[in-house]
Amino acid sequence: MKETIYITGASSITPLLPQKPSPYTYTAQDIPPCTYTETIRSACKEPDYKAYITDPAARRRMSRVVKMGLTAALQCLSGAGEMPGAIITATGLGCLSDTEKFLRTLIENKEELLNPTPFIQSTFNTVGSQIAISTKNMAYNNTYVHRGVSFESALLDGMMMLAGGEAESVLVGSYEELTATSFDIQSRLGFFRKGGKAGEGAQFFLLSAKEKSPCILRDLAFAFQPTPDELLEKAADFLLKNKVQKADIEMLISGDGGNEEEFTFYDKIEKNFPETQVVKYKHLTGDYQTVSSFALWLGTQIMGKADSPKKILIYNHFRNINHTFILLESRFDK
Amino acid sequence: MHFINELKTHIIEELNLEELTPDEMDIDLPLFGDEGLGLDSIDVLELILILEKYYGLKISTPKEGKQIFRSVRTIADYIAANQQQ
Repeated sequence: MKETIYITGASSITPLLPQKPSPYTYTAQDIPPCTYTETIRSACKEPDYKAYITDPAARRRMSRVVKMGLTAALQCLSGAGEMPGAIITATGLGCLSDTEKFLRTLIENKEELLNPTPFIQSTFNTVGSQIAISTKNMAYNNTYVHRGVSFESALLDGMMMLAGGEAESVLVGSYEELTATSFDIQSRLGFFRKGGKAGEGAQFFLLSAKEKSPCILRDLAFAFQPTPDELLEKAADFLLKNKVQKADIEMLISGDGGNEEEFTFYDKIEKNFPETQVVKYKHLTGDYQTVSSFALWLGTQIMGKADSPKKILIYNHFRNINHTFILLESRFDK
Repeated sequence: MHFINELKTHIIEELNLEELTPDEMDIDLPLFGDEGLGLDSIDVLELILILEKYYGLKISTPKEGKQIFRSVRTIADYIAANQQQ
């Protein structure tokens, strides 16, 4: 992409990580070291939603994940001068608790006497629409539901809009909630038997082609079910395309969360960058379809000071299927 | 009416009026409009479901609903009158 895209705002509602004022206050040392044996699920530390969603009439219909997503978006927009030219959201499973409530009532009441609210709020684009209603923003509004590449698809859409001059700034974010039912189903399917951890979270970003910030979103790449060797090839092509040498990557944010069944690819990539500092985060957040948005948030927080890494590579894959790379660059790297 | 507290509880739970308790809910307060609880058209559907689900009563005409759903008292009156029939 020819246009330089800056990340001018970032917010996160996430489990466990010590809260620090955003932006650009984290260092790699702030991330507690990876210990794989902690509990196998992570629930978000939630803010007081009343402070952000002040209208009780609006708040009362919102499920937990809707409040989480909307609040993260409002936090991200709080310092923004102008209204974004697009609202692009991403989710793997959407508003689960409302979906579960609707389906449960459907069965219990034999398809009769169904409450309208959980049905209305169970759609994937609920958060995107609530952001539009709450900020009175009638611009382009889209939601991506593409399993393990939902967030990256939203990010790509936002980057293309900026590169094509369709907007000067775009709001891109993701949200995911972990409910007791989804945790039980995932456990039964065996997703956590080899060290994986369930999680949830909401992250939002304001991307701008006009306003500058210390953090540049350089590029992203996808790979679908590659072999380990194909993945390395993909990584090499990605760096080449962006005129970056392996040695230039000062930090690798790796999605390895201690799941033995997913380790091969992370190991391959980490060994491919032997000189690079590796930071891991899934022991804090757990794993979910849009968790790479947390890695991006972490990257934006770490980057931006004079002594920060100049280039950060984010690598993640979701259950060995969808693999993604995101390249961040410091504006001071000139 | 002995069931008024139970009715208030159903309304609070089904409409997610989380900041209200049954004791705080004035039975004569209008349910709709700025001077009342500020409920809307989706809430009407929820109220219709409460009548059907918990009291076995069906509202047949929309005109009827306007009178019934004016306040908690009017809903309770409707339940009392129709359940006795």
